[in-house]
Amino acid sequence: MILSALILTPLVGALLISVWPQKIESDQIRKGALITLGVNLVMTTALVAQFDITDSGFQFLEKIAWIEPLGLTYSLGVDGIALPLIVINSLLCFVSVYISHGVRRPRLYYSLLLLITSAVAGAFLAQNLLLFFLFYELELIPLYLLIAIWGGERRGYAATKFLIYTAFSGILILGAFLGLVLLSGTGSFDYDPSLAQTLSVVQQTVLMGVLLIGFGIKIPLFPFHTWLPDAHVEASTPLSVLLAGVLLKLGTYGMLRFCVGLFPQAWMELSPLLAWWAVVSVLYGSLAAIAQTDMKKMVAYSSVGHMGYILLAAAAITPLSILGTVLQMVSHGLISALMFLLVGVVYKKTGTRDLTILRGLMAPERGLPFIGSLMVLGAMASAGIPGMIGFISEFIVFRGSFESQAPQTLFCMLGSGLTSVYFLLMINRVFFGRLDAAPDGTGGTIEVTLPKVSWRDRVPAMTLVLIIFAFGLQPAWLTRWMESTTNSFVPNYTNYANNPGRLVGRGSNDAVIAELLPLNQPLDMPITVLPTH
Amino acid sequence: MIATFSAPPLQPAPQYSIGDYIDRLLSGGTLLPNTPENLLEVVGVLHAYGIVLDAYAINLQHIANTQFLNLFPIFKYFDGKISLKKIVKHLWHDRINYEYAEYVMRTMMWHGGGGLDAYLDSEAFLAYCSPAIQAKAKTNPILLVFNKLFPDYLPEQVRQLAYYSGLGQFWRVMSDIFMDLSATYDQGKIKTIDQVIELIKAGLVANASKPIVYKVTISGTEYDILPQEAELSFLFDTAVPYVESIFFRGTPFFGTISYNAQAHQIPIDQGHFDYGALYADPLPIGGAGIPPTLLMQDMRHYVPDYLQTIYAKSVRGKDDVRVQLGQSFQKSMFCVTEAAVRGLMPFPADTNNPKEQTANRDYLNGWMKRLFQSRMNLIQ
Repeated sequence: MILSALILTPLVGALLISVWPQKIESDQIRKGALITLGVNLVMTTALVAQFDITDSGFQFLEKIAWIEPLGLTYSLGVDGIALPLIVINSLLCFVSVYISHGVRRPRLYYSLLLLITSAVAGAFLAQNLLLFFLFYELELIPLYLLIAIWGGERRGYAATKFLIYTAFSGILILGAFLGLVLLSGTGSFDYDPSLAQTLSVVQQTVLMGVLLIGFGIKIPLFPFHTWLPDAHVEASTPLSVLLAGVLLKLGTYGMLRFCVGLFPQAWMELSPLLAWWAVVSVLYGSLAAIAQTDMKKMVAYSSVGHMGYILLAAAAITPLSILGTVLQMVSHGLISALMFLLVGVVYKKTGTRDLTILRGLMAPERGLPFIGSLMVLGAMASAGIPGMIGFISEFIVFRGSFESQAPQTLFCMLGSGLTSVYFLLMINRVFFGRLDAAPDGTGGTIEVTLPKVSWRDRVPAMTLVLIIFAFGLQPAWLTRWMESTTNSFVPNYTNYANNPGRLVGRGSNDAVIAELLPLNQPLDMPITVLPTH
Repeated sequence: MIATFSAPPLQPAPQYSIGDYIDRLLSGGTLLPNTPENLLEVVGVLHAYGIVLDAYAINLQHIANTQFLNLFPIFKYFDGKISLKKIVKHLWHDRINYEYAEYVMRTMMWHGGGGLDAYLDSEAFLAYCSPAIQAKAKTNPILLVFNKLFPDYLPEQVRQLAYYSGLGQFWRVMSDIFMDLSATYDQGKIKTIDQVIELIKAGLVANASKPIVYKVTISGTEYDILPQEAELSFLFDTAVPYVESIFFRGTPFFGTISYNAQAHQIPIDQGHFDYGALYADPLPIGGAGIPPTLLMQDMRHYVPDYLQTIYAKSVRGKDDVRVQLGQSFQKSMFCVTEAAVRGLMPFPADTNNPKEQTANRDYLNGWMKRLFQSRMNLIQ
C-alpha cells in the first residue's frame, strides 16, 4: 500500500488544509504542507530502500477494480523507470513548498501544490491507461490556477495558453488510448506491453503518432513548445521549479512508457525520423535560448533543447540510450529546478531578469556571489561538464544513441556546445562586470547594493547542487535502480532493422538475447543467447 | 504575489551630461549632491581616513628616515617601537595595513609627474644622493658590491625612498586637514558639502607652497636627498601628481573585471589609464594585498558613531561595512578632487567677465571629460 500512500498523503494534506475549520496563519499552512511532503519524502525513501534492483518488472503492485465496464482499474506499480521520477517528484515538491513564503490565499496555494504532488505521483505509478490519463489531467487544473492566480503580469494569457495546449495534449492521449483498446479488442485499459501487438504496423504508427504528439506538447518538443516559455516567465519561482523539474517529465515518461513501451514496432520504424525531430528540437531550443534576454526564458528554452536529448535517446532505442532517457529526465529535473530557483532569487533581489540590465551580480558584499557561484555550477552541470550529473546523463544518451542514430546524435551533441554558449552569455552578462545597473539601456547607470540572500533561499539550492555533484561523481548510485528495467525495456533497434520481424533485447551481461518473434505475438518465446561482437 | 522583491526593482538612472556638471560647478553647486546623508558620509569617512592617514604618514616617513638603504627592513612597519606584543599583533594581522601606503607610493612613483618626478631624474639628484649612498655603503660590504656591480640600483632605491618621504609629507598635511574638518563638523560649523570642499580647498591653498624636503642621517652626518634648493612644494609637486596617479590613473589590479592587455584593453599610454580611486568599483575584492581592501579594513576601526548608524540602516546593515566605506570614501574623494579643481581654476567661478567665463568653462570641460567616465554619475 506504500504506492497508494504516496498518492493519498499529499491528497489528504491538501484536503485538510483546504477544509481546516479554524483560521490559520500562512506560515502554519506552509509548515503543514511541509510536514505532509516530509512524510511523503520519508515514504519515498522507504520505497527506494525496499525496491529490488534485480527485478526488471513492476513492483509493489496494487490493483483494485474501479469502473469495470470502462476497463478502469486502480492499478499501481513501480519499476526502475518510474522510481527515480517518484523520488524527484517528492523532492522537488518539498523544495517548491519550502521556497514558497508570504503567498496570498495560502490555503488554496498549498492545497493546489499538494494536489499536483499527488497527481504527478499517481501518473508515474499508474498501471492502467485511463488511470494514467486521470492523474495526467488532474495535475492540469491546479497548475493552471497556480499560474493564473499567483503568476506575473501576463499570467492570464500564459495560464490560458498552457491550459489549451495541455488540454489538447490530454485529448490526443485519451484518443490514442481509446483507439488502442478498441482496436486491440481487449476491453481493458490495464497497461500491457503486448497490447498493440495484434494491430497492423499502420494502425500502430497512427496511434503512436497521435500519442507522441500528445506527449510532445507536454515535453515540450518543437513546434509544440510555445506554451512553455510563457508559462515559465509568468509562473512564480516555486512553480517554475515544479514545472521544469517534474511536470515536463510526465511528457517524457509518457512517451517512454506508452509510445515506446506499447508500440515498439512502430517506434522502430519511425525512430530515424524521431531522432531528426530531436535534432530540430535540440538545435531550435538552444538557438532560441541564445536569443533570449530574459533569464527565465533562456532557461525555459534550454529545457526545450535538453528534452530533445530524451527524444533522441528514446528514438535510438538501445538499452544504454534508454538508460540515458531516464538519467536525462532525472538530470534535467535537478538542474533545471536549480536554475529556475536561482533565477527566482536573482529576480527577487533585483526585480528584473533582463540580461540587458543586470550585471556584476558576482560582486562580493554588494551582489549575490553565492547565488552566482551556484549559477555557474548549474550552468556547468547543464552544459555537461564532467563531475556533475549532466555529464553522466548526456554522455550515456549520446553513447547509447550513437549506435543506432549516429548522424542525429552528432547534431544533437552540438546542443551541448550551444548550452555552454547561452549559459556563458547569461553568466557573463549577469554575474560578471561591475555591479552597476544600466536599467534604461541609455548608458546611464545607478549604484546597486542588493539585499542579502537568506538561508531559506540558499539551502534548497545547495541541496540540489550536492545531489547534482553526488550523482555526477558516483552515477552508479543512481543507475543501479534503473538498469535492470531499462536493459529489458526495449528491443534492440539495430538487430530489428537487420532482421525484420525479429525483436532482440540485450542483457546486462554482455550477451545479446535474441528471440525469434512474429510481429503479432507476445514476448514469451524461448530465447537464444548469442555471443557479443 | 509570490514575486515580491526584497528590494525595489532597479529604476532608470538619471541622465547627465558634461555640461550639466559644468553648469552646476559654475553656479556654486557641487559634484556630490548636497544631502544630509552625503555630508555625514563624507565627514565621517574622512575622519576615519584622517586617522589612518596619520598612521600611514608617520610610517612612510619613518621608513624614509630610518630604513635608508636597509636591504632587509624586517621591522619597517613598527615605527621603531619593537616589542613582543607588537610582533604578535603584527603577525596576527590586527594592525594598520601599511602595505597600502606602500602600494600608493609605488603607484605614484610609477606614474610620475610633477616636480618631484622631474627632480629625481635630474643630475642634481644624483649629485645629492651619491654621498649618502657612499656613506651607507662604506659600512655595508653588500651595498658596496651592489653599487659596484649595478650602479643604477641604489639610486633607484633612493628615488623610491624620496617618494616614501614625499608621500608621507603630503599625507601628513592631508591627515591634519581631514581631522580639522572632522573637528569643525563636530563644532557644528559644517552644514553643507560645499563647506566641506571649501575647508579642504583652504587647507590645500594654505599648504600649497609648503616645501617638500628629505634628508637622512648616516653615522651622525645629515645628507640632503630632496634639498630646499630643489624648490619642491606641497601642491604642485606632491598633491597634483598624487591626484593624477591615485585618483585618476591607478593600476589595473585584479578586480571584478579582467583585462586583456593583448587586446589593448589596457591603454598603451599611462596617461589614458582610468583605474584610479574615482573609477574603481568600491569592493573589497579580498585577494591578498588588493589595495583598496586594505584601506577599507583600516578605516573600519575608526568609523564614527553617526556613520555607523547610517551604515546599520542600509540594505545589508553592517554586513557590508567595508563596501559602504568604499562608497563613502569614493564620495569624499570626489569632494577632494573638486577642491583641487576649484583651487586650480583660472578665474573665480562667479566672474562676470565673458572671456574669464569661457576660460573657466574650457578648464572645467577638460576635467569633466576625464571625470565623466568615473563613478561620478553613480553618486548623484
